[in-house]
Amino acid sequence: MVAKQIQPTTNTETPPFAWLIGVAAWAVPGLGHLVQRRWIRAVLLGGAVWAMFLTGLWLGGHLFVVTGKEQGISALIQLLPMSANVGAGLLYIFCWVTNTGFTEHAQLLTYEYGNTFLLVAGLLNYLAMLDAFDIASRRKE
Amino acid sequence: MKHVLWMAVFATLTAVVFGVVAKGTNRHRLIYGLKVFAEFMLIAFVLGWVLYFLPFR
Repeated sequence: MVAKQIQPTTNTETPPFAWLIGVAAWAVPGLGHLVQRRWIRAVLLGGAVWAMFLTGLWLGGHLFVVTGKEQGISALIQLLPMSANVGAGLLYIFCWVTNTGFTEHAQLLTYEYGNTFLLVAGLLNYLAMLDAFDIASRRKE
Repeated sequence: MKHVLWMAVFATLTAVVFGVVAKGTNRHRLIYGLKVFAEFMLIAFVLGWVLYFLPFR
């Protein structure tokens, strides 16, 4: 049996500004690529996340939040979708401050679509954030 | 019809992000994005028809 030897081919040290880029990419969808002058990526990724989040709100979806009043498992049930929503960065925080999108509109036909759009917008922004971080730390072209 | 439209919008936006963050040449990423879109739509239609025949009511 031949053991594979893994040779480090690239410098794996992460430059400090890569973390800042990561935070910027999380805070404002598309900003992480924008500051790195990746215009097309910024427009496509940022545009997709913004469009998905705003469409989710327009469809009547609601954002999840842990209020602290939940007991036991119900806090966990709120925590998982909330962590997905928080991925949208300042969009979520703006909605939280202005109390927008936290009301349930279950009577709307598109309510579940709205919820899904909002959840996935946050999750996609996590992906975009990791992409911006990888580019900043030169792990990706 | 609106449900199909929103499903297509969802699939398009998700496929754009998946395609952009994928590795490879621009051509490979475009094909990957189109594949993701097609898979979303196809699986949704298949599941829709499967659920249609299941007696949930």
